[in-house]
Amino acid sequence: MSVLSVNSITKRYPGVTALDGVSLAFAAGRVHGIIGENGAGKSTLMKIMSGVESQDSGEISVEGASVRFRSVHDAMAHGIVMIHQELNLVNDLSVAENIFLGHEPRKFGVIDFKAMNAKAQELLDRVSCKASPKQLLGDLPLAQKQLVEIAKALSHQSKVVIMDEPTAVLSDPETQALFRLIAQLKQEGVCIILISHILHELLENCDDIAVLRDGQFVGSVDAIEASEQQLAAMMVGRELSDMFPARVSAGTGNELFKVSGFQFFGCQSPVDLNVKAGEIVGIAGLVGSGRTELAEALVGLAQGSGSVEVEGVPVGRGLQAGMRAGLVYVSEDRKESGLHLDLPIEWNTSLAKGAGAILDKRAIHERAEDWRKRLNMKIADVRDPVSSLSGGNQQKVSLAKWLATDPKLLILDEPTRGVDVGAKGEIYSEMRKLADQGLGILMISSDLPEVIGMCDRVYVMRDFAMVGELSGEEISEESIMNLAAGVGV
Amino acid sequence: MKAQRFFQDWGVLIAFILVFLYAAITQGGSFLQWPVIVQLFTQNADKGIVALGMTFVIIAAGIDLSVGSLLALSGVLMMLNFNKFIASGTPENVAVIYACLIAMVSGLVIGLFNGAVIVWGKIAPFVATLVGLLAFRSLGQAFAEGGTINATKTEGLQVIANTGFEHSSIVNRNDIPITFSWPIWIWIALALVFGFLLNRTQFGRHVIAVGSNEKAARYSGIPVQKIKFLTYGLVGLCVGIASIIQVSKLASVASGSTGLFWELDAIAAVVIGGTSLNGGRGRIWGTFVGVLLLGLISTLLVTADVSVYWQGVVKGGIILVAALLQRGK
Repeated sequence: MSVLSVNSITKRYPGVTALDGVSLAFAAGRVHGIIGENGAGKSTLMKIMSGVESQDSGEISVEGASVRFRSVHDAMAHGIVMIHQELNLVNDLSVAENIFLGHEPRKFGVIDFKAMNAKAQELLDRVSCKASPKQLLGDLPLAQKQLVEIAKALSHQSKVVIMDEPTAVLSDPETQALFRLIAQLKQEGVCIILISHILHELLENCDDIAVLRDGQFVGSVDAIEASEQQLAAMMVGRELSDMFPARVSAGTGNELFKVSGFQFFGCQSPVDLNVKAGEIVGIAGLVGSGRTELAEALVGLAQGSGSVEVEGVPVGRGLQAGMRAGLVYVSEDRKESGLHLDLPIEWNTSLAKGAGAILDKRAIHERAEDWRKRLNMKIADVRDPVSSLSGGNQQKVSLAKWLATDPKLLILDEPTRGVDVGAKGEIYSEMRKLADQGLGILMISSDLPEVIGMCDRVYVMRDFAMVGELSGEEISEESIMNLAAGVGV
Repeated sequence: MKAQRFFQDWGVLIAFILVFLYAAITQGGSFLQWPVIVQLFTQNADKGIVALGMTFVIIAAGIDLSVGSLLALSGVLMMLNFNKFIASGTPENVAVIYACLIAMVSGLVIGLFNGAVIVWGKIAPFVATLVGLLAFRSLGQAFAEGGTINATKTEGLQVIANTGFEHSSIVNRNDIPITFSWPIWIWIALALVFGFLLNRTQFGRHVIAVGSNEKAARYSGIPVQKIKFLTYGLVGLCVGIASIIQVSKLASVASGSTGLFWELDAIAAVVIGGTSLNGGRGRIWGTFVGVLLLGLISTLLVTADVSVYWQGVVKGGIILVAALLQRGK
């Protein structure tokens, strides 16, 4: 019998049907994957199953009994917990206080800290988290925080744990540790539901994978038998031609960007790198290897020293000087630092470029319309807020914002994170087109197939230092991972 | 959801019209006459000007609690210097101009000082301007030795607030033309300028961008610190202009009571007008109508003989209703 099942769930928002009669069943002691492009209805389904939102019609059953969740608390009481991508933890409380937030062990009406810390320690051991219960949560690295969140879920005696993109922010070893933990929870009889964009992860770690498209359940596959191609085709509803565009020029141009003896906060040895016109150069490495920090220092968002030249001309320090020299950085974090989600799309696309001291509203509007066509953005109206868009379209707005400034060198940080398969291909072909027009592109990415498919040359970083450079045939998953993890050196 | 959106956009105007109609009906025809309307504008122009500046600060996700105290301080500085100029034999009209400049410059400079403490001192706006709230009034009282300073010559000063545009066809009951005093025109002109500044200039858009998402603004190359600094200068300048009007009304300044609690009235008007205290969203016309609405309610309460002690309850209730109607989901 399934521990949790949904039956003909339908949910409508103004203008869209997010879920259209979806039925799924989840069993105890199994790991279920759910995939779909952005906007396919995954997150809506998760929100309904975890009590964040309620369905318009359809039924949820827990262990065969029909239930109706009025709140997250309701769902928790039935043993269903969701771990959100943006972890719901309080940085200013201790690890134990976070785990037991809302159901603190009490003695004589006051919190029994001794019992709480002891129980927290048990849970932390169970999820192999090295943090101490008394430690301040804010001091932990992200991967540890995630483990705390899982410990928190377990503290509720959860039968079903739903995880939304749990590996998006983790490095490879951390990801492996997380999947070991998931396997262990599975052994203990917990039902795990994983939502992810990373197909091979799901194939390796799930028992079965359900595919959603346009709010409907497309089908479910056995993870042992299925392939990435099969899943991708089910997600987009068509066969994917090769996602990566063919290289034409492959960076035979002049040296465009030259960095030598560059030091930034935390760096272990000075960095040298260069990018030719028309070249796409990757910066690979594990999360936390200092790639973003290097990029932010290069464009002047953070302190840095050393020689930075664009077309042979030294670039002054500071973001403004970098922008004037044609050096721009498209942030990995669209929500926090990349975009103004609450503001209209057309404002965003003109924020970096500007539109005169007295605004030229027509130019602002036309610029947004131009980019919308050029990047094939799926947008109802450029006056809508960015928050109304899917991840892929948001990323296109972010690209448009910086391309509007006519950059010479584009630094892209994880350009396809949280972007669906269809939009990914479009972003790749736009990148190649830009390179063919003579732009230099420096791409930070943790997605190895992407690095291998797109880059003419790859730098690899480890522990805030440049540890290698690969080009042409040398670029492979193995060679990159060996350098990134420091194997065989 | 649609209804909520509608209230967010037009609530303050609807409220103003409803209250106005209520007044017109209960008070009979006497309310719907020029003198009453003109007086509403005259009485609230100075406060309205402060609220205009406050709108910018709040849209940039800041707050300024020091405006009331700053009003007293720049009024005191203006008056002390005016009397000094007169004493030293400066012609009265020249002294008036100097005094006005001193009020504006002191407002601007002290406002920028607030901004510097917040931006470069990295002190939370609430705390930094709370310091101003305490210190500026105290400073004003110290300069004025605790009391009221009267102008040694009053005529020239009073021209600013107590004269204005008159037209022979717009008269009161006794057929005397009504004065549309200069402060009204200054307020309206500033509202237009500020509306343009917010909606039509790069500066305005940067203010909104900073308030909406400061980090993304920084990553976009917007000079976040400079923008924040300037919003405090802007509200300071508004306070300086408002202090001229205040001083001009009676040709005197009371260091202990001038501008007392104005920070709260200004913030209330901004919020009622539909500007979000979280920053990133706001409008000038809303603030303008918000000031008028609060002013109208005060007038009504007085004419309806409601005890002074109850007025705070009514105003508080209005702000609560405004906040409830405008809250997000």
